[in-house]
Amino acid sequence: MRYISRATPFHSLDPRTKILMSLACACLIVILNTPISLFCLFVVLLLAFFSIKPPFSVVKTTLYLMAIAMVATMISQGFFYYFQPRTPLVTIIPEDAGLFGRLTGGISVYREGLIYGAVQSMRFFSATLLSMIIVMSTYPSDLILGLKKLGVPEKIGFMLTVSIRFLPVLAEEAKRILVAQRLRGLRIKGLRGSIRGFRFLIEPLIIDSLRKARRIALAAEVRGYTGKRTEIKKLHFFWMDWVALSIISLAIALAVKNRFMYE
Amino acid sequence: MISIKKLTYMYPEADSPALKDIDLEVSDGEFILITGATGSGKSTLLYCINGLIPHVFDGKLTGEVVVNGFLPKDMPVAEISRVVGTVFQNPESQIFMLKVEDDVAFGCENLSLPEEDVIKRRDMALKEMGLFHMRHAETLNLSGGMKQRLAISSVYAMGPNVFLFDEPTTDLDSTGRVEFLNIVRRLKEKGNTILLTEHQYEDFLTLADRVIVLEKGEITGFSQAGSLHTTTGRELLKGRKRGVSDEIDIQGVTFGYTKKRDALVDINLNIKRGELIAVCGDNGSGKTTLLKVLTGLLKPVKGNVTISGLVNPSLEELIGRVGFLFQNPDEQLFANSVEEEIMFAPMQLGKKINKDEYLKIVGFSAIKKRHPQTLSRGQRQLLAILSVMTIEPQILVLDEPTTGLDHGNLCSLFRILYKMVEEGKTVIFSTHHRKVKEFAQRVILMKDGRVIKDEIYK
Repeated sequence: MRYISRATPFHSLDPRTKILMSLACACLIVILNTPISLFCLFVVLLLAFFSIKPPFSVVKTTLYLMAIAMVATMISQGFFYYFQPRTPLVTIIPEDAGLFGRLTGGISVYREGLIYGAVQSMRFFSATLLSMIIVMSTYPSDLILGLKKLGVPEKIGFMLTVSIRFLPVLAEEAKRILVAQRLRGLRIKGLRGSIRGFRFLIEPLIIDSLRKARRIALAAEVRGYTGKRTEIKKLHFFWMDWVALSIISLAIALAVKNRFMYE
Repeated sequence: MISIKKLTYMYPEADSPALKDIDLEVSDGEFILITGATGSGKSTLLYCINGLIPHVFDGKLTGEVVVNGFLPKDMPVAEISRVVGTVFQNPESQIFMLKVEDDVAFGCENLSLPEEDVIKRRDMALKEMGLFHMRHAETLNLSGGMKQRLAISSVYAMGPNVFLFDEPTTDLDSTGRVEFLNIVRRLKEKGNTILLTEHQYEDFLTLADRVIVLEKGEITGFSQAGSLHTTTGRELLKGRKRGVSDEIDIQGVTFGYTKKRDALVDINLNIKRGELIAVCGDNGSGKTTLLKVLTGLLKPVKGNVTISGLVNPSLEELIGRVGFLFQNPDEQLFANSVEEEIMFAPMQLGKKINKDEYLKIVGFSAIKKRHPQTLSRGQRQLLAILSVMTIEPQILVLDEPTTGLDHGNLCSLFRILYKMVEEGKTVIFSTHHRKVKEFAQRVILMKDGRVIKDEIYK
């Protein structure tokens, strides 16, 4: 998942708008509690996700993973739902079926459990989609600039920029380390092997990152970095940003009203 | 003007000073080339001028450094950076931003200049350094030479008149070096003062006004440029016969990372047992890809690779037969001691080797209990090579093994390689240093994914 250059309404929104919208959406995910409303939110976010024209491979993996996660959550919640009331749909072992039945208290699939599982996975998927939309539609440095303009301290912003810049470098390095080790005969088999292999990967990776970090720090130092600086990049709010923010505010207001005022 | 008097500096927890009684006067517009072995104090001297010593590095500093009338030790590093610009060896770790133009503006922004000034200086630097046409490019995708040029541009935009270069061309290929030379020439013509450290200094001899040789922290030689010599050696291999049996044979091999562009185009090569081969060419010419295909790490899209009689073998089949050393030694050291590092592969593969002999040949016997990461960069490079050699493979492949090695370490390296070749092993290494390829018996020159020259020296 990374930035994809496209000309879509989402891409042209101010990063600040996108950050505020995602915060608002995160609130909505928590506030909304009925299956219908969460489903609506999910559908809206899914449409938004498609509107940024993601590549087909990304769509495929996303939907596939979501389907698996949803089925898994529903099944596990279906079996292990412990709140009352609960309505058994299918009973596998009745409560009075011998010792096993009494020990387990019976094993059934509960209707409320299935619904609860679906609701929770909707929440989870909405959060996932949200982050994907932001990351894929905003150029990383614009996103960080947006954060800075919204009050995130300069030094933290700089840290984020540098980490984004060096993440691909690190990933490449990890790949090379693994091949180098296999060629020197390291065989990774089973859990113990994996743990050992992990140690062999992580140690050179950390030490080299520390060396790199030191070099980067020195380079930043002689480039006059102190944390106080002019920012020549500017962000601009357009009418679309106001529209987007109005819509999301309205949605929040409605959600709060429905959840807290009439209960 | 820079004036250094009786400068002595000792790093914290060091036993001996890194610089001893240095006296040096540099006039405005002078180009000083500083050379010396690894650990001779070249970088340390630069750090005393740009203020990293004593502001970032603690330790004991005595003597006096004056740069353009001010004392670096009394000024914050950020202030000094307005006058003294520093460019380091590794271009990768001097780039902070994701886009070229943002990175060039980075330094000026840090100086808190007014916005218009930042933009003016950024565009000026982009134009003068020939980067204007690619100002919107992503920094991640630039070549090493371009990255170094970007780092210089960013420093240049800050408007210093003293430039310090700390081994700036070590990581560059020949095109990158030529580009770098041109840039430095232009900086000099504009009247800037330049101090540059480098092992491989031959390229700069015509440009430099003076050459300084550092040895264990002391200036041991001053010389007018042009009077230094270096030794090279193909003589060592003279008269050796080429092996007869095939080790690697590749026919019509094409390979591409992306569909658009092939990294290797229709390569045919036959490599005999016991050859010592240098693969040369600029960055991006396909050297590393060729090495990986030669050793079966990458499968060709078209064509066949036969390695020790196996056609297009899998990685599993190659373990124990092929040793491959990637560029950065630090990625390949993961044991707790030098000894353990060397023994790692033989232990995994169940091979018996004569450990002491390997330790002796590079002079590691005394440091065999040390943790690999506490060694110097050159020693780590040698250890990484050694750790691959102890696989005792039929074929040893080294990607840029000479980066960062001074002359002493370079000789140690080739001592080991010659020994392997004597034993009938095949050794292939890539390099972009003109001098280094002269150590090989056969030189394969790559350009744009093709072999354009394949010469065997007898």
